Amino acid sequence: MDIISQLQEQVNSIAAITFNVFGTLQRDAPPVQLSPNYPDPPPSAPTTDEPKQLSADLVKAAKQFDALVGALPLSDGGEEAQLKIIAQLQMENHVIGQELHKQ
Amino acid sequence: MATATYPPPPPYYRLYKDYSESPSSVPEPPSPIEGSYVCFGGNYTTEDVLPSLEEQGVPQLYPNDSNVDYKKELRSLNRELQLHILELADVLVERPSQYAKRIGDISSVFKNLHHLLNSLRPHQARATLIHVMELQIQQRKQAVEDIKRRREEVQRLLKDAFITLDGQ
Repeated sequence: MDIISQLQEQVNSIAAITFNVFGTLQRDAPPVQLSPNYPDPPPSAPTTDEPKQLSADLVKAAKQFDALVGALPLSDGGEEAQLKIIAQLQMENHVIGQELHKQ
Repeated sequence: MATATYPPPPPYYRLYKDYSESPSSVPEPPSPIEGSYVCFGGNYTTEDVLPSLEEQGVPQLYPNDSNVDYKKELRSLNRELQLHILELADVLVERPSQYAKRIGDISSVFKNLHHLLNSLRPHQARATLIHVMELQIQQRKQAVEDIKRRREEVQRLLKDAFITLDGQ
């Protein structure tokens, strides 16, 4: 897959991991005492590692995105430079085509 | 299982009856469509242009005047995205009613990211074109060389054949 599509896929996967992180946090959060009128919540201990793993995934995905950005082959100075190169190549192509035709 | 027959070919063939005698008296093919056209109930335009962010109502977070440094901007948008995610986590813990603004910020960072990536596509198209043209030039040069070489070989063979014929 080409690099720009890979970057787009990476952005989408960062978004997916983000909402998975928040969804997991909201789903698995233990009850918390909001006002002193109510008794303390029962000490339920959710000792799953899942939020840690998910946040590690998020950081990894972001690092991968940076690595992919580094791999972008943006060599040219911009649109005009590319168009000039294309015009030059077109002329060279035309000359060689005529030579080929002569042969 | 019922099979449907194919639709008949369009009836324009009758207009081309005299093509072999007078090629200019028959109708031309229709010219390519310009502007917008309707296809199967949907409107399409022939100009494929990436709508700018302001038209979509999203604030633009990277400076844009010609020649944006794509790598730097993509990286800084990535960092900003991470910061916004952390902010959202904080807001959910402390002030849970203010989440909407943070979510709006995160979605605008995502939209900026995608817009930047989409604006790289024309650059990619031109780079592909350059690559293909270089390959084509190389192939043509190779073909010219081959033809020259073959022709010289043929001439040499013919000369040898004449010499052997004369020698007999």
